[in-house]
Amino acid sequence: MTVGPENERPGSEQPGKQGVRLLLSWLLVAALLGYGVVQTAITAAKLFAR
Amino acid sequence: MPMLSALDHQHTVAPAGYSRWLIPPAALSVHLCIGQAYATSVYKNSLIAHFGASQTAIGVIFSIAIVMLGLSAAVGGTWVEANGPRKAMFVSACFWATGFLVGALGIATGQLWLVYLGYGFLGGIGLGIGYISPVSTLIKWFPDRPGLATGLAIMGFGGGAMVASPLSRQLLSLYDPGYNPANASSVASGGALVGLFVTLGIGYFVIMMFGVVNVRVPAPGWRPAGFDPATVAAKPMVTTASVSAANAIRTRSFWLLWIVLFCNVTAGIGILEQASPMIQDFFRENGTSTVAAAAAGGFVGLLSLFNMAGRFVWSSTSDLIGRKPIYLIYLGVGMVFYALLALLGHTATALFVLLTCVILSFYGGGFATIPAYLRDLFGTFQVGAIHGRLLTAWSAAGIAGPLIINGFLDAQGKPGTLTAAAYRPALFTMVGVLAVGFVANLLIRPVPARFHEPAPTAPAPSRDIPTPPVAVERGSAQ
Repeated sequence: MTVGPENERPGSEQPGKQGVRLLLSWLLVAALLGYGVVQTAITAAKLFAR
Repeated sequence: MPMLSALDHQHTVAPAGYSRWLIPPAALSVHLCIGQAYATSVYKNSLIAHFGASQTAIGVIFSIAIVMLGLSAAVGGTWVEANGPRKAMFVSACFWATGFLVGALGIATGQLWLVYLGYGFLGGIGLGIGYISPVSTLIKWFPDRPGLATGLAIMGFGGGAMVASPLSRQLLSLYDPGYNPANASSVASGGALVGLFVTLGIGYFVIMMFGVVNVRVPAPGWRPAGFDPATVAAKPMVTTASVSAANAIRTRSFWLLWIVLFCNVTAGIGILEQASPMIQDFFRENGTSTVAAAAAGGFVGLLSLFNMAGRFVWSSTSDLIGRKPIYLIYLGVGMVFYALLALLGHTATALFVLLTCVILSFYGGGFATIPAYLRDLFGTFQVGAIHGRLLTAWSAAGIAGPLIINGFLDAQGKPGTLTAAAYRPALFTMVGVLAVGFVANLLIRPVPARFHEPAPTAPAPSRDIPTPPVAVERGSAQ
């Protein structure tokens, strides 16, 4: 999906720098959520393993 | 103080080309941290043993935090709108981290009041400010899909407990090798609790700083490529006008929405609070439950997963089918599922798990869809402040839900001896609570034009305090 502001303003963000920022931000969130989901799934599996 | 001025609203306006997809992870990095509030049960027994206090005395820590969440969101909402998301997130991170550190001091010195002050009072302020801080910003960045945007962020609050629960168990085991998280009667030492609180306080502060650094507000007049505001105005329950927080609470729709949120949360919290003993009681043979304690813990984890997923999935769905219809589903289908749970829930574990998981997904969806519903009714002008005031419904439901279910169960017998039949009065009461919310949702109408902000007649001030967009009167009387 293409997204971006329509109005051009000075001091625009460099695309490469922003790409790294995007990657790091989503990686942090994915790592935290992934850890939570995997740990929860391991615990929840005990419910059906009885 | 250049560092502090960087937090100001006018220094937070996004430069050209700034990707709006940086805002959801910024919001998530805050919500994933403050969502820890729902994982306090992990170390509750250790705190009880350390302080030699009662269940109630330790439970008060969580209660203070939730009450402060509602109060600070309600009182601080206007401040958050005026000062922008970056300063709000920074303040939230400071309160949240300080809460843990003061709490750690209380544990280390054996003074419970310091834990009340730290985690409860200070941490609770961090919770309230942090919860509302990214909401209006997300709605402004995603005018085309506000439900998806707020669903993503508020999903983090549900996910925060899923991260904090196993993490806390592992940290306590690390700091106290004698602690066995697999054994329900095992408690961690005071030193391990201090280590946990200090680690969480510092760790959460660092993660929340990712949000502080990345969050931006869109430039005035910005809109996403291909988005036509006229398509929003064409929807019957969506306004393009602006309603202030002070005016919003004078409208009938605000209080109807308050009732909707209160009813949805009351019903969901009743199950959440009782989840582990509930599944054991529903499947009891000859006085002994066929569901082991560990499996019941797995059930609680599964509910957390559906609570989190519901926030994203249902809130995103509301962008397609509308807010009012989605709440009719949460409340209407919720009523049917509660009744089925009461009547048939004991017949099969899979059916019980399915029904409760869907109910909890509606509970999460109700939380996540509310900001977008507010945007539809009151516009984006002060939606964060209005959201803050509406969250008092959460605080009230946090008291009412457990009171209802515990009141009924206390009358039915002692814990450990209850069966599925003992839950029926409480579950049918929840059906009634949801019915009240269902009717309240049906009665919600567009806000009358007399509550709209007047159209601006002078150029916007240089300081970038949000100014109402051009008001479009929609002429519908309530």
